[in-house]
Amino acid sequence: MQTQNTNTLTSGVVINKSTGLYTISHGEDSVICRLSPKLWKDFDAMTFPEGKQRDGLAVNNKQIDPVVIGDRVTYTLADHGQGIIVDIAPRRNHLARRAAKPMPSAHAFEQVIAANLDQVIPIFAAAEPPPKWPMLDRYLVAAESCGIPSIIVITKFDLIKGHRAETELLAVIQRYQEIGYPIILTSAISGQGLEDLRQVMADKTSALVGKSGVGKSTLLNMLEPGLGIRVQAVNPTTGKGRHTTTNLEMFTLANGGAIIDTPGTREFGIWGLNPGEIADYFPEMRPLLGQCRFGLSCQHDQEPGCAIRKAVMDGQISPYRYKSYLRMKADL
Amino acid sequence: MRTKVQAVNADFICKHCGAFVKAHRATSGVVNRNHCPYCLYSQHLDLCKAGDRLCACKALMAPVGLTHKISRDKFSHKRPGELMLVHQCQYCGELSINRVATDDDPLKLTAVFENMPPDIDQLHKACQEHGISLLNRNNRSIVMSSLFGLASVEIQDLLSIS
Repeated sequence: MQTQNTNTLTSGVVINKSTGLYTISHGEDSVICRLSPKLWKDFDAMTFPEGKQRDGLAVNNKQIDPVVIGDRVTYTLADHGQGIIVDIAPRRNHLARRAAKPMPSAHAFEQVIAANLDQVIPIFAAAEPPPKWPMLDRYLVAAESCGIPSIIVITKFDLIKGHRAETELLAVIQRYQEIGYPIILTSAISGQGLEDLRQVMADKTSALVGKSGVGKSTLLNMLEPGLGIRVQAVNPTTGKGRHTTTNLEMFTLANGGAIIDTPGTREFGIWGLNPGEIADYFPEMRPLLGQCRFGLSCQHDQEPGCAIRKAVMDGQISPYRYKSYLRMKADL
Repeated sequence: MRTKVQAVNADFICKHCGAFVKAHRATSGVVNRNHCPYCLYSQHLDLCKAGDRLCACKALMAPVGLTHKISRDKFSHKRPGELMLVHQCQYCGELSINRVATDDDPLKLTAVFENMPPDIDQLHKACQEHGISLLNRNNRSIVMSSLFGLASVEIQDLLSIS
């Protein structure tokens, strides 16, 4: 449905994108737009200030794109029915990761996942595939660094109910709850936790992130039955997901708010942080910063008189979270 | 929570004596090279099991004694097994036992056995709490036969050979 007249500027939100084409939502309508050549030129000048030419393949490879899902843009309708994006509003925040590299020696670059978020919802399956808690710590640190609150969701809880794995999982959950992160246990089979999830997502823009096969799209189908997003079971041989969702898309929720479904990620590299500031984004470590013998210069690794190491030994900080912190710092 | 134990085979510089230590299993004979072969000191890095690297203490662990694994012969009779080194953290006092590696200095191992720390009773008590039975002077033949293949070797003889 396109009701706007040509040459009138309209603002909307990017809800979907494919190579070079962006779907902009404006109220009930949606328009497919391209980016104006002037914006490309400005983006080139911003990205490569030394006058280097942008690689023409970059956009095709989805490596660098000035527009991401959730961006608020201004567009005008062209004669052929498509729109042209003429302006991108400054982002309130954005969630980004270090893009996966095809080989270790390849150039690392930022991959913005979504912009203008109210909350990030890292999703992990209780089993199939088993949860990777260091990866959760990465999601949480990335969200904390952007100032976006996180709500942890555990799916497929029915798979471990009554087993020994349930006790182990609840112990880990308690660790994150003590830090202050809300956690919702869900099951698409029994419907457990779906109402809680609906309530926390109401009137907010949320991004679902997690590994392939954890049930992001399944959860979304349960929350909004009309969406009909394609889902698949995990591979029974490998126990891993099948990368069913391949592009980001924003969906509007019936009770207000919007949700961004993302493809599963194998890795989530931290981008744009210095090793020295990682501890700032661990909420349990934050109050201890500056209390070490070497003050703010302490690396919290081998230094004597480190307040954070002492807190780990005293049981105030989880050794698993501390190990995650050290690994994240080493990766940067 | 299950922890994936990392393969700890990275070369390192000993924090006690400063020696560069090759951690390859071909030279050490063990998968996890967890102490310096020259001074036998270790570092307090593991919390729940070997290689988990979850401990934040990271202080030096001094060699305080020797123990041995209990193995059984074909008739299920107990007999002394592999020789193990007992380490104690110099900061928090935690005890751990580690396999003696092929390239560990045998004279240093003998010295650890011969020169027990002065607070031996306290150490024995701590070891008992951890289920470790320290080898004492009555077990000299076990240590010597494990290290040198001779039960009655004297330390003076070893020094004269070296």
